[in-house]
Amino acid sequence: MLKLENLCAGYGKLDVLWDVSIEINEGEFVAIVGPNGAGKTTTMRAISGMIKPKSGSIVFNDVNLEKKSMKDIHDLGVSFITDGGNLFPSMTVKENLYMGALSIKDKTKRDQLFEKCLGLFPRLGERLSQPAGLMSGGERKMLGIARGLMSDPKLMLVDEPSLGLAPAVVLDVFKTLKMLSRNGVIILLVEQNVNTTLKIVDRAYILEQGKIRGQGTSKELLASDYVQRTYLGIE
Amino acid sequence: MKNELYNRLSAPLKKIGLSPLSVAAFILLALFPFVSPNAYITKLGITCIMWGTLAMGFDFSVGYINVSNWGYAGLMGLGAYVSALLLKFFDITPWAGMIIAGCTAAAIGFVIAVLTMRMDAMFTALLAWFVGIVLQNIVTALPEITRGAMGLNVKPIFRGASPTPYYYLILAICILTFCVLHIFVNSKFGFSFKALGQDIEAAKAIGISPFKYRTINFVVSCFVAGLVGGFYGHYIGVLSPNVLGTKNVVQILVIAYIGGRGSIWGPLLASFLLMPIFESMNSLVEIKYIIYGLVLIISMIFFPGGICKLPEKVRQIIKDRKK
Repeated sequence: MLKLENLCAGYGKLDVLWDVSIEINEGEFVAIVGPNGAGKTTTMRAISGMIKPKSGSIVFNDVNLEKKSMKDIHDLGVSFITDGGNLFPSMTVKENLYMGALSIKDKTKRDQLFEKCLGLFPRLGERLSQPAGLMSGGERKMLGIARGLMSDPKLMLVDEPSLGLAPAVVLDVFKTLKMLSRNGVIILLVEQNVNTTLKIVDRAYILEQGKIRGQGTSKELLASDYVQRTYLGIE
Repeated sequence: MKNELYNRLSAPLKKIGLSPLSVAAFILLALFPFVSPNAYITKLGITCIMWGTLAMGFDFSVGYINVSNWGYAGLMGLGAYVSALLLKFFDITPWAGMIIAGCTAAAIGFVIAVLTMRMDAMFTALLAWFVGIVLQNIVTALPEITRGAMGLNVKPIFRGASPTPYYYLILAICILTFCVLHIFVNSKFGFSFKALGQDIEAAKAIGISPFKYRTINFVVSCFVAGLVGGFYGHYIGVLSPNVLGTKNVVQILVIAYIGGRGSIWGPLLASFLLMPIFESMNSLVEIKYIIYGLVLIISMIFFPGGICKLPEKVRQIIKDRKK
């Protein structure tokens, strides 16, 4: 379980998040939606250890993450997939995938995870020797998610997977994430594409100007006047 | 059939950081003194191997973790003075002196790394550069120990005027460096180094500690500088503070970049192509550094990948022509 309580975070003297509280249970697919600059990515960065919170707590499976290093958090099973995919452009697809399993010492397990990833993303299997930098946007996103899976995560933080992708590819990516959550991986998704996101996730939080503006199940949010007016353009 | 034999040889050799091709190249190098027409050509061979080894050490940092060590000549010179002074004042054999020289350079590298490896690579480059300048000034300012600008006479390792024993010693250091660096590169360390060199944030996201791996890489690279420096002092016989100067870093940098970043073998090969040209330009004195700069700029524009990318390019051209 992931629990954020009254989380405040920012960069230097600039505060970005104020008293953000979020709770996600095992196997849930939850999104944080909101406009540009709301603090969605900052929330992800704070959970992954990329930035240290100013106050509040982040608890993942009964372990406090606030003071832990990015490596320790990663080793606890948290995989952060940034909007750019965080790939190594000169490395091949295969090397990129195995980079994701660098902390796994058991070779058999690494190979099993590799096969599992190829099963989930067969297109990657056809491009194993291709440098990651030469792949299309959609393939890069797939590779980013697959590499995140290579560390056998318990929690995946996925930042704007729809950014720069065609709608059909976005749907493919979301469906894959949904399937992963059904297999027990907690998924926290950050998105601006509210319409598609709410159709696929279990629950969502609305983050605006660094504060949680609302929360609910997808159905509740899709039916809410505020979401319809502000995010879906329905008057 | 040929490929099968190559593959069968490759696997055990890879474990010790070699390949059938590199073994063949080193055998040729080992035979070189037998065909060398005179001592000058053998000495030119020593120069090529020595600067090639330094460029390999330099490439280990710049080509893998993307950290340029602008104090590399300073650390090499430090190694040269450490081994020379240990022999002069404490009668410590140059064999141990060279190892201590390597360790001293590695220790300085460790301090630089601890202070800067949490920051951008530019800070490491700048601090290393300043450390090199400070070391050069210390050597100049302590004439009672180092004889400063008057020059320090260093006892040779081998008796006699023949350069051949020095040739084999630097070749051994070169092969050892080549093997150790390749073992690092082919291990989990190598993957971490490459990841950090390509995208530090992405590397962090998959649990690689930038501080730990960049420090390990930098210290190993500095050790090579000190070790080769230790050899240099005993081989050349006279040391002056100039050896620690930035001009020598430029020379190493030119070789490493033209050789190609992130290959290890590229800079070594480049040294054999470039050092004879550089040696022939000695009469141009300071002008040769302008030429170095021009060569570097031209190579960066037209061959950004360096020599190490040439086989790949040739293979691509052949493939395209077949199509």
